[in-house]
Amino acid sequence: MKVRVGKKAPNFTAQAFVAGEGFKDVSLSDYEGRWVVLMFYPADFTFV
Amino acid sequence: MEVLAISIDTVFTHKAWNDNELVEMIGKDVPYPMLSDPKGKIGSLYGVYDKEAQLNFRGLFIIDKEGIIQALSVLPPPVGRDVDEIIREIQALQHVEATQGAEATPANWEPGQATLKPGPELVGKVWKEWKP
Repeated sequence: MKVRVGKKAPNFTAQAFVAGEGFKDVSLSDYEGRWVVLMFYPADFTFV
Repeated sequence: MEVLAISIDTVFTHKAWNDNELVEMIGKDVPYPMLSDPKGKIGSLYGVYDKEAQLNFRGLFIIDKEGIIQALSVLPPPVGRDVDEIIREIQALQHVEATQGAEATPANWEPGQATLKPGPELVGKVWKEWKP
């Protein structure tokens, strides 16, 4: 697994919904220079 | 500090979930981008995609200003995160970064509490500085 603490976070681009802005593409590299919390979660409309 | 939420749902489902449930839950729109990761391509890149369930597990990655992963945590779908702990970790990481590693945060540290200053003089003497 190439993802490790101390290693560079792999870049990616994804389509995103941003309330107030609609749909737009977002890349991790857009946030260079800022701390980022990347949080994966299983699915919308589920329970936890 | 930016938050990026990401699941295998489409942007349409994200919008529907925000508009119909999350707005009711928190009293306002979700204040950060909700990313779409169909087929778990990005989840696979981060080692959290589960091929059998066809969704991403509850992975959390704290990434610093240089793009380096500073912390990670993975939970299974039925177990929710502790947000206070995530905030505490970010505060600790930023404190260590601000002191350029001159200070370390001991167990259960919260902002304002004493830190430790690693060095040869402290070897075997931590018990004088810190109590559990």
